[in-house]
Amino acid sequence: MLRAVDRAAFATAFALRLRRAGVAVGLTGVEAFVRGLAECPPETAGSLYWVARVTLAQRHGDLAAFDRVFAEVFSDAAVPVDPHARRRPATPPAGRDDAHARVPSGSGPDEPGQGLPWRTLPPTVGTEETGDPSGLRVPERLPSDLEALADVPFEQLDPAGLALLDDWLAAALRRWPTRRSRRMARHHSGQRPALRPTLERARRTGYEPLELVRTRPVDRPRRVVMLCDVSQSMQHHAAAYFHLMRAVATTADAEVFAFATRLTRLTAILAHRSPDVAIELATAAVTDRFSGTRIATNVRRLLASPHGDKCRGAIVLVASDGWDADPPEQLASAMARLRRRAYRVVWMNPRAAAPGFQPLVGAMAAALPYCDALVPADSIRSLGAVVSAIARSA
Amino acid sequence: MSSWAADPVEVGRRMDRVDYLVDEGLATALSLALTLGLPLLLEGEPGVGKTAAARALARAAETELIRLQCYEGLTASEALYEWNYQRQLLAIRLAESRHETLADADLFTEEFLQERPILRAVRFSGPEPPVLLIDEIDRADDEFEALLFEFLGEASITVPELGTFAAARRPTVILTSNRSRELHDALRRRCLYHWIEFPDGGRVASILRRSVPSATDALIASTTQFVGRVRRLDLDKAPGLAEAIDWLSALSMLGVGELDRTAVVRTLGAIVKTPDDRRTVLGSLDELEGRSHGA
Repeated sequence: MLRAVDRAAFATAFALRLRRAGVAVGLTGVEAFVRGLAECPPETAGSLYWVARVTLAQRHGDLAAFDRVFAEVFSDAAVPVDPHARRRPATPPAGRDDAHARVPSGSGPDEPGQGLPWRTLPPTVGTEETGDPSGLRVPERLPSDLEALADVPFEQLDPAGLALLDDWLAAALRRWPTRRSRRMARHHSGQRPALRPTLERARRTGYEPLELVRTRPVDRPRRVVMLCDVSQSMQHHAAAYFHLMRAVATTADAEVFAFATRLTRLTAILAHRSPDVAIELATAAVTDRFSGTRIATNVRRLLASPHGDKCRGAIVLVASDGWDADPPEQLASAMARLRRRAYRVVWMNPRAAAPGFQPLVGAMAAALPYCDALVPADSIRSLGAVVSAIARSA
Repeated sequence: MSSWAADPVEVGRRMDRVDYLVDEGLATALSLALTLGLPLLLEGEPGVGKTAAARALARAAETELIRLQCYEGLTASEALYEWNYQRQLLAIRLAESRHETLADADLFTEEFLQERPILRAVRFSGPEPPVLLIDEIDRADDEFEALLFEFLGEASITVPELGTFAAARRPTVILTSNRSRELHDALRRRCLYHWIEFPDGGRVASILRRSVPSATDALIASTTQFVGRVRRLDLDKAPGLAEAIDWLSALSMLGVGELDRTAVVRTLGAIVKTPDDRRTVLGSLDELEGRSHGA
């Protein structure tokens, strides 16, 4: 196979196609591919697929894009080039992996009256009530688990609000709750002596250890995992929470997820250098925004996903108004598991800012025993206050 | 380098002989790792056989397996090498008592060097290069990954007092990860990558047959079907290949000939590991079994 083909040119061209599809391929990968073609020359399209995949694809999230590009390039071969299609499980895997989302070609649809909390809500698809032809709808107060077509983009990020939250977060991170790690570092008040540096120092004094070098476990700041509800009932507050998600995602060692009926990981997307590109990519990634809410299902999905381990010993912020389409018992058991795994669980509820609010309604009442704090958070200011409160409680 | 390693089919056959079944993808990955001398990063859900792959590769290549288990706070003194300080101090005291002088060069010699897994792999002197398994690299932290770069890139270790040791033949390095932490790009760049997918029903049955030879064919078939159906339920922790092997061993040790409800309930702890999951599976036993009998 591939006789009389310039291996270097072929590998470079293929790597270029992969890069255009969003798969990060480095020069070492291409070099390994060429060497692999030389040392183990593939006889069939299937073996070529495997040689290319093992050398060029570097992470699990790139495999889908790699399969697509390979099928495009070699689609005239009769061998099925996606050997995993038959082996994929019947149910979709829990939790979407963070594949690189392509930047949409045009800008988002123009929406009149951006930023106003009382603008007309878009019509949702598949609701029980028959369509009102005028287009004006009463906002749906009951939680639903129906998916909706979301034409509405997320709000634009206001730089002033973003800067405010960044300042708050930076100040809070200086006093963030820490965890003791197993790595030891030198410290004058440590409890454990380190043998090697003590003896090196003892060389000066004839190998008599007169001065002990002590070490202490390093304290690392705890990870932040933020789970934000982007369903229809939370649409008014999406702007404020998005600011916090962006600020948290640009901090080191944080994970950000958005959920409505499905769970989407936004950490890599929101950490983009430019806020506008970040918001565009997030709009493309979260396809179920402003639809129904399923809190319990998505918390379970998070715990079962590969990112579930990131919640271990972390500070988990759940931003939701507690309107859940799933039964409250499911939310209780999911929150119990989350509480056992996390260091602290903080529930941010925009409805709690209203005077006279009491968490007596189903889902919120079920989740309350497993939260360390239920805080009102409806504007950027109150979100900043939440962050400062977490830092103070360390 | 052995000529058999260049052919994925031959690699697959040798692995088969040591009772580890590989598919075309894993065979190609192992073959490339052996011939190109690049490290191989194996990822996959827990219990799918990543560590077992490295062990089987060492047996198939008739060489030694050197294992390094990673954890947070792993340092050079546990992974690369350590000086035997106690012995050095004794040597100093002994020299003093004999009124001899001891120079630095006498203290830092091979006699006082304690090899740890990575240095052992570099200085290995058998007929074939060893297989170095760096297990669960995602549990280690960034500082340890930085330590590995020199070794992964050039297969050499520098001991300041003694000099640089370079491997005569590059060891075959296999890294495994459970994806509980994002590995650094610089580490991924130096490695080949393979994702081990959970195998389909037919392959699971053949793997079970090899791992538990005492089980009957009927039991293997019904167990494979049951595990496949349990995996399709919405569980907190879905059973993997290792759990299926444990369950089959338990059933065959208890002398179960056919899979019935009492046997399943007695040995459920082998495949179901949390109370919520246990409740879910016991609640769906009717469908899981009904279909199994009908098939």
